[in-house]
Amino acid sequence: MSGSMISGPEGRRFTPWRALLLAVFALLSACGPSEVAVQGQFPAPLMQKLPLSLGVWYDEGFRTHEFFDEAKGRAESGWIVKTGDAQVQMWDTLLPGMFRELTHMKAKPEPGQMNQAVDAVLIPHVDELQYAIPTHTNVKVYEIWMRYRFELVSPGGKPLAEWTMTAYGKTPTAFLQSDEAAVNLAAVVALRDAGANFATNFTRVPQVQDWLAQRRNTAPRVAGNQEVEP
Amino acid sequence: MSMMRRALLLAPLVSLPLLTGCVTATVDEMVFNEPVEGIGDASVVILGRRHASDYETEPDFIECVGDHISSRDNSIEVIDELDFINALYPWFEPRTAPLYPEDLEKLLQQPPVAQRLAELRTQYMIWIDGSTIRTDSAGSMTCGIGPGGAGCFGFGTWGNDSDYEATIWDFTNRAEVGRINASASGQSYMPAVVVPIPIIAPVQGTACDSVGDQLLQFLSSEY
Repeated sequence: MSGSMISGPEGRRFTPWRALLLAVFALLSACGPSEVAVQGQFPAPLMQKLPLSLGVWYDEGFRTHEFFDEAKGRAESGWIVKTGDAQVQMWDTLLPGMFRELTHMKAKPEPGQMNQAVDAVLIPHVDELQYAIPTHTNVKVYEIWMRYRFELVSPGGKPLAEWTMTAYGKTPTAFLQSDEAAVNLAAVVALRDAGANFATNFTRVPQVQDWLAQRRNTAPRVAGNQEVEP
Repeated sequence: MSMMRRALLLAPLVSLPLLTGCVTATVDEMVFNEPVEGIGDASVVILGRRHASDYETEPDFIECVGDHISSRDNSIEVIDELDFINALYPWFEPRTAPLYPEDLEKLLQQPPVAQRLAELRTQYMIWIDGSTIRTDSAGSMTCGIGPGGAGCFGFGTWGNDSDYEATIWDFTNRAEVGRINASASGQSYMPAVVVPIPIIAPVQGTACDSVGDQLLQFLSSEY
């Protein structure tokens, strides 16, 4: 009997019973939901930087964002898509390329809250995430769709603008590609799309346009006043 | 195991690479202003169109066409698709990619974009739109495993259709200078008597070769 025992790491011994138990756990874990922690590389944007000092605040829900979809039947598996880390990675790559200066705020901008001095603070939220895989749609693409909500506030928490934005990513089926790898790729494409949408449309958001116009109007007047003042 | 039996079992495995299904391909081409002297020091980028909702031009097809061109004329520099898209992010994403040559003018009004494109020395931008789909499938196959061994029995067949269109933009003149259309179809078979023998029709590969050959004729001074 002792001859059939296998020495494992740290001197622990695995009997055939333990090995069988591990195999059963491994089989049972295969029945659980498919889990994807989105991982990818995101390029910096190639554009002229806006002359703004922007702060960014990622709240807990954004930093740890995950999507859970329970299996609807025995034939299907549930899905957990964790996008939090990839979201932070993507926005931390995009925003420094878009604005003259980017600051990560120490705390959520609120009245009375001590914080760094910036022109405005961006607070992104993921309001909704949907996915589709070929078994759902009979179309040979994996898809991820996200709806973001952005708040642009003053460092003191005064709302300056609020708007929503969608992002979409898809990837075709590929030989020997697992569902998890394909969903990950579709999520990376969706995140890139989110960055592209934000970068190309930020200055077209009506409330942001109003705020930028207000800043333009205020800045020269102050300078002019200074010139005439003794 | 006798030598005869071993040979019979190994024969299908050895002959696998030799068995391919038949493919029918059609190529249409219309090009203007061919660079008769070749493209010199300039580079070419081949990009896939990915804005349709129900299909996507496969990245490996784009890579295949690029490899086809650069392997036959190594004087032609083909920029990797992902490298190009990353270098010009976010201007060549499915949402933002220019749809017409005239859109390039607007893009070049941005100094960082114009500078990056000048660094890349891009003379021709080739957009490929299309996909390979499975048209039909039939047959069935059963595989089993037992103490004496494992094996499959049955027959399966399926068809594939490829349809791709390459559009050539002359970057210097901001004009479309050519269109190449390649379609290919073929039937693959998989008989199985103990060992499955795939007889695959290289439909996508044939379409890749067809598009690649036509592009090579356009771009290369040697073809």
